[in-house]
Amino acid sequence: MKVSVKLYGTLHQRFPGYQHSQGIEVEIPDGATVKDLLALLEISDPKGITVIMEGRVLKMGDTMQCGVPVNVLQTIHGG
Amino acid sequence: MKFIRVNMNEKIITVEDVPQDYMGLGGRGLTSIMINQEVPPKCDPLGPENKLIFAPGLLSGTLLPNTSRISVGAKSPLTGGIKESNAGGTASAALGRLGITAVVIEGQAPEGELSFLRIDEKGNASLIPAQEYKGMRTYRLVEKILKSYGEKTSVLCIGPAGEYRLATASIQSSDVDDHPCRAAARGGLGAVMGAKGLKALIVDQRGKSPDTIADPKAFREAVRAVVKIVKADHMNSEVMPKLGTAGLVAPVNSMGAFPSYNARNGVLDGWEKISGESMAELIRERGGKTTHIGCSGCIIHCSNEFVDNEGKYVTSSLEYETIWAMGGMTGIVDMDTIARLDNLCDDIGVDTMSTGVAVAVAMDAGYKAFGDGKAAIEMVEEIGKGTEFGKILGNGPAAVGKHFNHARVPVVKGQGIAAYDPRAMLGQGVTFSTSPMGADHTAGNMVGEYLERKLDPLKAEGQVEGSRSLQIAMAAFDSMGQCFMASVALLNPEGEEAFRKVINAKLGIQLGSDDFPHAMGIRVLKAEREFNRKAGFTNKDDRLPRFFYEEPLPPHNTVFIINDEEIDSTFDF
Repeated sequence: MKVSVKLYGTLHQRFPGYQHSQGIEVEIPDGATVKDLLALLEISDPKGITVIMEGRVLKMGDTMQCGVPVNVLQTIHGG
Repeated sequence: MKFIRVNMNEKIITVEDVPQDYMGLGGRGLTSIMINQEVPPKCDPLGPENKLIFAPGLLSGTLLPNTSRISVGAKSPLTGGIKESNAGGTASAALGRLGITAVVIEGQAPEGELSFLRIDEKGNASLIPAQEYKGMRTYRLVEKILKSYGEKTSVLCIGPAGEYRLATASIQSSDVDDHPCRAAARGGLGAVMGAKGLKALIVDQRGKSPDTIADPKAFREAVRAVVKIVKADHMNSEVMPKLGTAGLVAPVNSMGAFPSYNARNGVLDGWEKISGESMAELIRERGGKTTHIGCSGCIIHCSNEFVDNEGKYVTSSLEYETIWAMGGMTGIVDMDTIARLDNLCDDIGVDTMSTGVAVAVAMDAGYKAFGDGKAAIEMVEEIGKGTEFGKILGNGPAAVGKHFNHARVPVVKGQGIAAYDPRAMLGQGVTFSTSPMGADHTAGNMVGEYLERKLDPLKAEGQVEGSRSLQIAMAAFDSMGQCFMASVALLNPEGEEAFRKVINAKLGIQLGSDDFPHAMGIRVLKAEREFNRKAGFTNKDDRLPRFFYEEPLPPHNTVFIINDEEIDSTFDF
């Protein structure tokens, strides 16, 4: 299945030519998890990474959904 | 370790050793415990019985980086309760290098009289007539002060809003580039300073008489350990130097928790135009600074310098909370307008957050349309001019709501909320409700708990405990002069242990794991709660406005669901 990904913070620096208005479209197997998605994006250490889909912060084991875009961000504290 | 007490009635300055009751305290811990002990809780915040206390953190002016926050405390004219508001810049370290634990402004100058309080490089304080600076805005004021007293000078000052004694007036703090762009903004402490008749506190930065370090060798080693932890923190090493706090615009909108259009929606239309990423790109294109040092001894560099399309300075530092207040709440998705509003607020000397919320309440009431940047600038200019409407706006969101007879006013204890909607971040609602400061953005900020997946922001479980724990920790770290960013990196057993070693080496004591941050944080919060109780606050003041309980927030369409009993258990300690 295809998932549209937008990158935030400084993550775009890992993907030369990344155009934010378009994001990245990735092909992942049905049933793939957040961890699988991050592995595909070559983000091996999820520490400091937050994935949000439809307003929900996902856990590493949560399943991706076909056609539902996700935002991949860096964890940040407020104040 | 000395207090400088200044009686504004008699123009008498007294220097005293720090009394035993206040030993080992600094920053928020000192201001709050002193106010609880020395200020009559039911006094007029703008009268002579109130005290305005400037206190560097316990570690300010030492080798430990990121300890340049100065706490300012008083009874607040905005909330009617206790207030500590802290600011970055250079003054805290300057006072620390002079061994000054606090500057306490007491009494009240005769009506219309204005003074500077100057502390020279030997630590001698003097009051200087400042009538000629009446009505002056802060940027021009600091330029003039530096011309008179030299470049190695820190300034804490008020603008016209403080002189008008408006309830959201700030105290502006000069940064390392001598811009008065840092602010002890919340709670109207600028109005207290104005009521005292004090236009500026001016501190020479060349002091060489800091408090003795009990064990210098152990102190240096402990500092190295803390620095290592702060630098290893991903947020501080990667995100903050590139985007600053503005990096929060994307995650909070993505979570549907960015209060927009006076908290009618959790996502701002067009938020990507005012995100940290867009801001950084714009600053880079124009030749401004995306990485900038705002405070003395900073190793994080979260500040920025925003410039116009000709590369000319507009403001520093454009922060998340200001972008939200002036952008999200008002529906203005133009970075140049937001930057202009930030500069205007700093120059006039008002809180950007309360002002943005106040503008949004006026727009929600139909006074102007959401998204009208020109109207927002004109409204804020009215504060500086002191027009009737400007005074209403400068007295904060509740005053604006009353003026327009409009009930949707997002305040707690009279203070406007921060950039996290309590309906989509329940724990933040607990902090807004219960913090003795009123709705506050640093007192127990929960967003990191959600982004790190420690808690589900939409479920009630764990929210009270999470808020309580963070409120205790921040009350302790706020007493050290430590900035929020560095504190966050230390909120773990390893970080807390390393930090305790710094305190122990400085003071020659042996704090254990129960003592800091836990016991110290509780001591501070208890003093603050006690003052508020004596001032007349009850549990009913620890509540969000009704609309947060009744009006679902898109896109999650949820309301605030933490019940009163749970809220009231937050400070069960």
